[in-house]
Amino acid sequence: MSAADCEQQGTGWGILEDLPGDPMIWVLIFSELVAFGLFLGAFVVARAIHPVVFAAGQAALNANLAGLNTIVLVTSGWAAARATRSARASEKRASRRWLLIAMALGGLFIAIKLTEYAEEIGRGIGLETSPFFTLYFLLTGFHLLHVGLGIIILAVVCRRAEISGVETGAAFWHMVDLVWIVMFPILYLVR
Amino acid sequence: MPGRLDITWLVLIGLALATILLPPLMPRPLLANALLLVLAAIKGRRIALDFMDLRAVPALWRGLVSAWILIVVLVAWLASAVVALI
Repeated sequence: MSAADCEQQGTGWGILEDLPGDPMIWVLIFSELVAFGLFLGAFVVARAIHPVVFAAGQAALNANLAGLNTIVLVTSGWAAARATRSARASEKRASRRWLLIAMALGGLFIAIKLTEYAEEIGRGIGLETSPFFTLYFLLTGFHLLHVGLGIIILAVVCRRAEISGVETGAAFWHMVDLVWIVMFPILYLVR
Repeated sequence: MPGRLDITWLVLIGLALATILLPPLMPRPLLANALLLVLAAIKGRRIALDFMDLRAVPALWRGLVSAWILIVVLVAWLASAVVALI
């Protein structure tokens, strides 16, 4: 296929063009989902091997704070989805307002998670306390980095609030939300 | 009048509260784990369809994200079942 043919059929991303936002963000999203999926798989297999150690580790976590964070992140995802809806309606000011709400709630998620870490570290818990805590800190820390990165992406697209940019930022943000929704019960609640 | 996004948000909040409140009321871990993971799968699918906007895209993309959710929760449940049954 020649370059001219590609141009005629789209931007050359093929079926990825059907997805909202920049196709490149979806390459990243699917890569991240695979990485988090493998990580969570390793966690549940390790729990099956060391059930007593993992039960003791889980009992030391603050599930209420993590539950609160679920509500915070879900609400942030809703705000990002509203921002996309506003951008598509050419309501840039409303889109920016929703993005700011999404970012503020993302900041609150980070603050709550850091409070949780501080509480755990204050009780002498660390990366090397047990295999449970090694995986717990790595998994939640990796996710927390994505929350931070997501806020940065939302801040970048907020400036112009154009449809493609907002769709791209929101798509990444929803991936971060989706991963937490699955990660929360597996780490904190499943016995 | 709330739109689909608002309804999805309210459903997600309700399911998040159920995730925290219901399992302690269920004495059998296998059932409690199944409930937790089914709730997670429902929440994940609502996020994929309504927030990620995959409802309107080709079924391949919905299928891939749904398969990810299903595989992760299924593996988590099977691993917890193995521990409970040993």
